[in-house]
Amino acid sequence: MSETILSVRNVSKHFGGVQALNKVSFDIHPGEVVALAGDNGAGKSTVIKAISGVFRYDEGDIELDGRRIAFSSPQEARENGIETIYQDLALADNLSIGANIFLGREPMTRLFGFLPVIDRKMMAEAARVTMEKLDFHVSRLDAPVSAFSGGQRQAVAIGRAMYWNARLVIMDEPTAALGVPEQRKVISLIQSLKAQGKGIIFISHNLRDIFEVADRIVVFRRGENAGERIPGETTGDEIVRLMVGK
Amino acid sequence: MTAPETVVPTGKSGIYMPRRSLLMRIADMRAWLFLVVLIAFFEVWSRSAYGVSFILNTYNLQSISVFATAPLLLALGQTFVIISAGIDLSLGFVMGLASVIAAHVANYAALQLGLPPLAAMLVGMLTGIAMTIIPGLVNGWLIAHLKVPPFIGTLGMYGVARGAAYLFAGGMTISVSNSWYSTIGNGRVLGIPVLVILVAIACLIMHYLLSQTRFGQHTYAMGASQAAARRAGINVKKLTMKIYLLSGIMAGVAGVLYTGRFSAGAAQAGEPLLLDSIAAVVIGGASLFGGSGTILGTVAGALVIAVIQYGLVFINVEPFWQFIAVGTVIIISVLVDQTQRRFTGGRQVE
Amino acid sequence: MERRSFVKFMGAAGLAAPAILTTGRAAAQDKPTIALIPGLTADGFYVTMHKGAQAAAEAVGAQLIYQGAAEWNVSLQVPILDAVIAKKPAAILIAPNDKTQMIEPLRKAHDAGIAVVCVDTFIGSGVFQTGAGDADFPISYVASDNVLGGRMAARALAAAIGEKGKVYVSNVKPGISTTDQREEGFKLEIAQHKDIEVLETQFNDDDANKAAAQFQAVLGRVPDLAGVFGANLFSAGGTANGAKQAGVAGKVKMAGFDAPESIVAQLKDGTFELTIAQHPAEIGYFGFMAAYAHATGNPVPTHIGTGFTVMTAANIDDPNVSRYLYKSS
Repeated sequence: MSETILSVRNVSKHFGGVQALNKVSFDIHPGEVVALAGDNGAGKSTVIKAISGVFRYDEGDIELDGRRIAFSSPQEARENGIETIYQDLALADNLSIGANIFLGREPMTRLFGFLPVIDRKMMAEAARVTMEKLDFHVSRLDAPVSAFSGGQRQAVAIGRAMYWNARLVIMDEPTAALGVPEQRKVISLIQSLKAQGKGIIFISHNLRDIFEVADRIVVFRRGENAGERIPGETTGDEIVRLMVGK
Repeated sequence: MTAPETVVPTGKSGIYMPRRSLLMRIADMRAWLFLVVLIAFFEVWSRSAYGVSFILNTYNLQSISVFATAPLLLALGQTFVIISAGIDLSLGFVMGLASVIAAHVANYAALQLGLPPLAAMLVGMLTGIAMTIIPGLVNGWLIAHLKVPPFIGTLGMYGVARGAAYLFAGGMTISVSNSWYSTIGNGRVLGIPVLVILVAIACLIMHYLLSQTRFGQHTYAMGASQAAARRAGINVKKLTMKIYLLSGIMAGVAGVLYTGRFSAGAAQAGEPLLLDSIAAVVIGGASLFGGSGTILGTVAGALVIAVIQYGLVFINVEPFWQFIAVGTVIIISVLVDQTQRRFTGGRQVE
Repeated sequence: MERRSFVKFMGAAGLAAPAILTTGRAAAQDKPTIALIPGLTADGFYVTMHKGAQAAAEAVGAQLIYQGAAEWNVSLQVPILDAVIAKKPAAILIAPNDKTQMIEPLRKAHDAGIAVVCVDTFIGSGVFQTGAGDADFPISYVASDNVLGGRMAARALAAAIGEKGKVYVSNVKPGISTTDQREEGFKLEIAQHKDIEVLETQFNDDDANKAAAQFQAVLGRVPDLAGVFGANLFSAGGTANGAKQAGVAGKVKMAGFDAPESIVAQLKDGTFELTIAQHPAEIGYFGFMAAYAHATGNPVPTHIGTGFTVMTAANIDDPNVSRYLYKSS
């Protein structure tokens, strides 16, 4: 795979006197899951926030499909095909699957030819199609997502990324809030995103999950690259050693 | 560019929502159910004690609907605020402020500027409503930008609006003598009070805003989770400003209509209505934790309160029972809401 | 009558006072400072009372302090009272916001040697200087005789409805001394009118909207309702609006209480059959004079009742009647 979705080159970021990132680099290719591993404060969250526009980075380059990007808001990142999925399920629990997929960019239609109204039919249909792609068959599309389990809700968040044709999906601890069976479900959802050729950044504390889904593991330590490994060619012990620096 | 070798989720993970049980659906409509039960109660009592129908009685329908208009107008804006997980305690005196200003301006326009009554009324009403933009925006600004809790921010505005209303009124009720204005407040069209027609239109507009527009949709989302709304790219600050602005404006509408109805602007016009407006929203099915509620429910909630208060006088029951009755309905309503939450909230349906 | 004789006395004092100033006492002697704390400031009734007290202060050349809260609330009135006590006036005229809760705060004034005069509302039983009870320390109670006011409303309303039919009282809420007494007086007087029946009192919490709905509900049950007595401004105004909404304005006779300037138009268009005007300026004037008399060593009656004027469409243009309208400025 020669084409690159995202290329992070020598990116640095400091907050006051604290150097949070120091010349970190990694690439993501289509259909590839890159796991970011590292101890707390190693710079995993900082780098994904720099990518997704939560804040700007100080030095270096981040390129999306060959274009340098430096988004000023998550909204702008999303418009450019970067979706972020959080561990605490960034859904409005009281709204339907469709309403969540379209939250913030609801499709409008006109009632009686003049009155602008939200196109709920279109949202429901899009929700059905999207969720079917994830092998979720929903019979009541108007039910609020609070009626679903944690894993199912995570599926809705992933469905949202899929529907909006994200090039790159950032998953920040997507399994942390879930029970074990639910975690398995999310892992399988990641596989289907991958099958669609998306680039995926996966952050987890769970080495088992990392080894199961990642194509590459990028290890950070104190804001710097500490190594990069292929799961089949390394062990958990080695990754931990890289993380703690021994 | 597919990767057919990757694992695809194994089949049996479909989500099948069961048909919602009859009980749940009744719980959703509880405000209307209360209303039906109350009306049935008064109907039976009225027929057996006085030999007249309570509800098949144009006079009673007119009286109750006019009675409900003022608290309902406050409750309409309050519905948006409560769905967004806020509360607006300033509404009562914002209403009083609008009432006083409308009265002063209508008088000034007629007496000093020599405008005809219709024009003087319109100028008065528009000025009164326009004035409420200030408290609405300040409320929104305090809550959205300075992160003041809604309860505290609007309590502050309650004091400011109260002071301003009393100051403008100079300690008096400001009487207005304007035939047009009085007709708006007391006239009828085809037997329907003008007030009721105006408030019905306001209900339709608010229902549309809440259920059919992005503004309404985002209000629900924000009430469920501000973080989720923000992450979805919704400008939560701007939305908060809009919600409190809307609620202030509805209080303004209530205030200027009060002035027409009673031919007087009064600073304390809305103060007794504030709690009724919150009660109407809660009885109507909204949760004070935010995220749920409908205009239809709020309308029913306001009618429940009006029917109780009117009905108990109509059947000649000791007036203090009104408080007990309204309080009981609020408690039942909240209990139903809690129970419903326990059964659906976060429930795994598989 | 006690009131009449005191009026004569005050007239004499008013004339005598300037003479005392110039002759009897040293010119350097400070005139006493007297404070007036109204029930609330945002009310034409107290605005007018303030004017009466001001007129009295000017007549004798004494100082008047006027301080009050924007609304009727004990917890707002007490701090204002404390601030006024700190200024050590010779006397305080006050319309207490509660007849029980204001006793101890006022005792502080009494203990500091400041004479207390209750105006409009009272503490304890309203009977002072008897040695009985713990709230008899105010030197005088100056107010409209609200029982008499209720009686006058009853008489006038009875005449308006032709001495027969059903009536009820629209009142604020139980526990307010003045409105309770008006209702009491109204019922006492109506009992003398054999063909008039008084229905259950309706309490509206000072909410005009509720007073209107209550009228409509009562009328729905009692279609031959003849009249209503609204015991205060919002009760009367709300009830009158209920009659307008029900299309019976002018048919069901409204007797109001109090007389803001806006009442004139409502009397003329038949919204109100009559209203009972209190004489708040008189209360302010005689309250001040009682305090002044006490401060200058003269005896004062323990109760001064001021009068009323019945206003109707027929007499409202008479300057002797219209001068009792409550003025806002």
